[in-house]
Amino acid sequence: MKEILQELERKREAARLGGGEARIEAQHAKGKLTARERIDLLLDEGSFEELDMFVEHQCSDFGMADKKMTGDGVVTGSGTVNGRPVYIFAKDFTVFGGSLSLAHARKIMKVQDAALKNGAPIIGLFDAGGARIQEGVDALGGYAEIFQRNVLASGVIPQISVIMGPCAGGDVYSPAMTDFIFMVKDTSYMYVTGPDVVKTVTNEEVSHEDLGGASVHAKKSGVADGAFENDIEALIQIRRLIDFLPLNNREKAPRRPSYDDAERGDEALDTLVPPNPNKPYDMRELIEKVADEGDFFEIAKDYATNIVVGFGRLDGEPVGFVANQPMSLAGVLDIDASKKAARFVRFCDAFEIPVVTFVDVPGFLPGTKQEYGGLIKHGAKLLFAYAEATVPKLTVITRKAYGGAYDVMASKHLRGDVNYAWPTAEIAVMGAKGAAEIIFRKDLGDEEKMAEHVKDYEDRFANPFVAASRGYIDDVIMPHSTRRRLIKALKKLRNKQLTNPWKKHDNIPL
Amino acid sequence: MFHKILIANRGEIAVRVIKTCQRLGIPTVAVYSDADADSLAVEMADEAIHIGGSLPSESYLMMDRIIAACVATGADAVHPGFGFLSENAAFPKALAEKGIVFIGPNPHAIAAMGDKLESKKLAAEAGVNTVPGYRGEIEDADQAVTVASDIGFPVMIKASAGGGGKGMRIARSVDEVREGFQAARNEAKSSFGDDRILIEKFVEKPRHIEIQVLGDKHGHVVYLNERECSVQRRNQKVLEEAPSPFLDAKTRKAMGEQAVALSKAVDYDSAGTVEFIVDPDKNFYFLEMNTRLQVEHPVTELTHAIDLVEQMIRSAAGEPLAFQQRDIQIQGWAVEARLYAEDPYRGFLPSIGRLKRYVEPKEGPMGPGHLRIDSGVREGDEISMFYDPMIAKVIGQGATREAAIDALASALDRLHVDGLQANAPFLSAVLDEEDFRTGRIHTGYIEEHFPEGFNGTVPRENQLRYLVAASAFAQTVEAERAAQIEGRLIPARVTGERQWVVILNGQHFPVEVSLLPHGAEIWMPNLSSERVMLTTDWTPGQHLFEGKLGAEGFAVQIHNRTEGYSVRHRGYSATALVCTQKVAALHARLPEKEPVDTAKLVLSPMPGLIVAVNVAVGDEVKAGSPIVTVEAMKMENVLRAEVDGIVKTVACKAGDSVAADELLVEFE
Repeated sequence: MKEILQELERKREAARLGGGEARIEAQHAKGKLTARERIDLLLDEGSFEELDMFVEHQCSDFGMADKKMTGDGVVTGSGTVNGRPVYIFAKDFTVFGGSLSLAHARKIMKVQDAALKNGAPIIGLFDAGGARIQEGVDALGGYAEIFQRNVLASGVIPQISVIMGPCAGGDVYSPAMTDFIFMVKDTSYMYVTGPDVVKTVTNEEVSHEDLGGASVHAKKSGVADGAFENDIEALIQIRRLIDFLPLNNREKAPRRPSYDDAERGDEALDTLVPPNPNKPYDMRELIEKVADEGDFFEIAKDYATNIVVGFGRLDGEPVGFVANQPMSLAGVLDIDASKKAARFVRFCDAFEIPVVTFVDVPGFLPGTKQEYGGLIKHGAKLLFAYAEATVPKLTVITRKAYGGAYDVMASKHLRGDVNYAWPTAEIAVMGAKGAAEIIFRKDLGDEEKMAEHVKDYEDRFANPFVAASRGYIDDVIMPHSTRRRLIKALKKLRNKQLTNPWKKHDNIPL
Repeated sequence: MFHKILIANRGEIAVRVIKTCQRLGIPTVAVYSDADADSLAVEMADEAIHIGGSLPSESYLMMDRIIAACVATGADAVHPGFGFLSENAAFPKALAEKGIVFIGPNPHAIAAMGDKLESKKLAAEAGVNTVPGYRGEIEDADQAVTVASDIGFPVMIKASAGGGGKGMRIARSVDEVREGFQAARNEAKSSFGDDRILIEKFVEKPRHIEIQVLGDKHGHVVYLNERECSVQRRNQKVLEEAPSPFLDAKTRKAMGEQAVALSKAVDYDSAGTVEFIVDPDKNFYFLEMNTRLQVEHPVTELTHAIDLVEQMIRSAAGEPLAFQQRDIQIQGWAVEARLYAEDPYRGFLPSIGRLKRYVEPKEGPMGPGHLRIDSGVREGDEISMFYDPMIAKVIGQGATREAAIDALASALDRLHVDGLQANAPFLSAVLDEEDFRTGRIHTGYIEEHFPEGFNGTVPRENQLRYLVAASAFAQTVEAERAAQIEGRLIPARVTGERQWVVILNGQHFPVEVSLLPHGAEIWMPNLSSERVMLTTDWTPGQHLFEGKLGAEGFAVQIHNRTEGYSVRHRGYSATALVCTQKVAALHARLPEKEPVDTAKLVLSPMPGLIVAVNVAVGDEVKAGSPIVTVEAMKMENVLRAEVDGIVKTVACKAGDSVAADELLVEFE
């Protein structure tokens, strides 16, 4: 009997070694941790319960019959992050290069199914060489079944992907359908077709890093929502992110005690907006001074920097912040910013995370590049996302809210619950100069008259009171009281009930 | 006494003068430029008058507007502060025409001392020591040798029209005089088109020591002893103290008496400063006289229990001095540090902008001494490009020099500046140096001690203890709180007991933390021999971690960042990653990333505007050739190639605004 029990322990030991010491050594030499080390880091100590440790592939083609390794290139299971359940799968590069076989795919599907059924987030750690070519169509089928489950789980449970090594071909589409993708700098890359194929097809020479490295996706393509220095930093930050998110779409985001006074004022916010309307300021300062303890988890920090999105808490309750950033392109809305913010707002709405919007927007970016790129449809995404959202929506206009962009940015007209403005807010169709030049075109030559017209328009609209007189703004608030006022408003919205008409699904302009 | 005083200045000194006026019950008027409309001085003054644009030439230097402001508000006296119009003899004259009193010396004294040659002549006549030298022109090398031998070696051979070190030679022997004379003459000719040469005594390792004088309109002048301002960077004073750790009573008296003699020679009737250089043998030589309040006046005030601004006001109002020389005594010690908005890690480049966060420690008891802060800013204010980027003067006072330095260093640890880089780490580093602590300073001190610039200090063991304890405590509090999140499967195990490894600059420090009300018991086996009590009320979100480790009080700046806690104590900054033993073991396995080879990158050293891009992709450049010109603070900075190379990418164009560290050009 004792021997039988010892046999189990031996098998477990062997499975835990994955591809063996030499390959683990090679993994470390590349600056990467192994799948099991990563899981250990991500989950609470001792909380990991592994599934399918002894799974092996069933392929016998191309000599695969005698090449079997327990686990088959992916480690799966469940555990907790700060005591809350999560499901996890981590590709094991030391076993068949983490390549995907049918057995491997089925292990992933099993945790996907469990996560969906049990209403807990799922996290995928990617570090693999793509499909196991020896398995042919079985591998392709495996991919598709994973994709299908990603889609069914979308909007039901949070799905997070972390790219911690190669991720190419079929492997990229599962992360692409999850809520967030993070990458590790220098050790990860992600692309549909690799440099060799690129060279054959287009004769373009490009490195892995320049084709699909962390900086490409976090800055240029927007595919990644963030890039971290190394595996450890990445996994610690994923733990931090999980703490902001509900387990599933039937729960509210988790509250936790705050050390920050809900009544805290910040006098320096009264001077955040500079007297010169063309001078930029850092909107992140407002977010950091409003959020509990200045704690802000920013999403896609280096992409479309003219809009800032991310998670924070107000008196312990998670919220999503969306803010135009005057420091970058004057905070204008362009294609990239609209897409970035729209996706974030939809995530928050799907998971009942209230959205706090800070507005300083001069409008949509003009130009052929934007129009040819489809600004109309992409800009509409953000409009659509705000309009359909039924979560609590709180908005503060700090300075400019011009034209259509005013409407878009969680305005009262899009069912904003609480819409505040600072005394420095200007809500108008456009800046005073532009407006005067159109209304008084005949006086264009007369500088003195034009100055007068500009002044008139400014007096009329370069303040929040016209909008407030119409009820489009609920109150004009002192900048220093922003945190206090938002917290009060948010608490009253905790039991907000609002549903959209029944539909199979909407038809957002993709 | 005056009915109303207008302060023709801004910032910290305007606030300083207003405070004294308030104490004396005299209403004040502030004047302000566009940039200063919301300044603290404007808020504190009883009245404020806008006098023009942000450039000093459009506001604080506009005599007529300031006089108009006096007339409009009925101010009958003007305090000029320092800088701007404070040493312009025309200003008191113009004020006098309107019957307004200038709170400062008479115009004759200002004019006489304002002329550098004239003042040296007056000084010599008044029996003040001047640097020995030959005032006339030197004809040839032979004459140079004779003159030099008369003065005594070493001597300085310099161009009459000189400046900036050009055409300057130090000679320590007859041979060196011969060589140096010819070389200096050639350089003078080519640099200034004027080959006239002077020779004077070269003072080695000089100290800058100045005497504060105070006079009234009744012919009395006293000296309030000395201030030593030897710690300078490019002729800009960095640390100032009173008294000097170097002077003896005899030298002090001799310097004081000469300063008074010179003052009397020009009927000096206000606060003024006579600057000397002092050689290692305590020989002192007159440099110049400043006919105004000095920036560093607080150290004299604190060591003499006197308010110099009040004395200036009283003298200007015609009151005689209320004390005599024999009443004046030095009490204790005071050291002042100038807190500047500049980045010590980047060659002290100006780092202007909004003070996103600015929290000063409270004035009053601080460490073993006392703290005074003279500042003119509040959180949210802007350090603008138009004026001197000084944020505040932080002054430590104590019974001894050591106590004063400790008070100052403690205050700098507790001063929180965010949004721009301040020079606090550098100031703290100097205050911690053995040579500074023992008073071994001279005007070349910073160049000698920081030849490569400033890159932070090496931590002492007590600093490591503070940083490790603070970051481990912070992580414990955050971890315990994280365990109280809603939706847990099993109830939180909130025991307050945690074991960590703090990774600081690659070094691993195991720590055990047991939380207690108001602190924790901390066990750092490789930093202390026993468990120590950490007393603190720090909570997450605070950027200043104040505590006591055992009996030692300390303050650490702490910011929670993606890569760990960014921490600073004194001149040492680091990132502290606090993790479990398991994670620490994995961390040790990660190979260290090669830092990016910045020699191949041209990064913007500061936020600014691209004025010119001198290269295009594919260009071959040599080390030292100009690549990009960035304008910031109205200064054009030419960025040059560090190595030879071929331009791979050009990521900017003329007219772009760039952030600090932004990539501009990359080489292959």
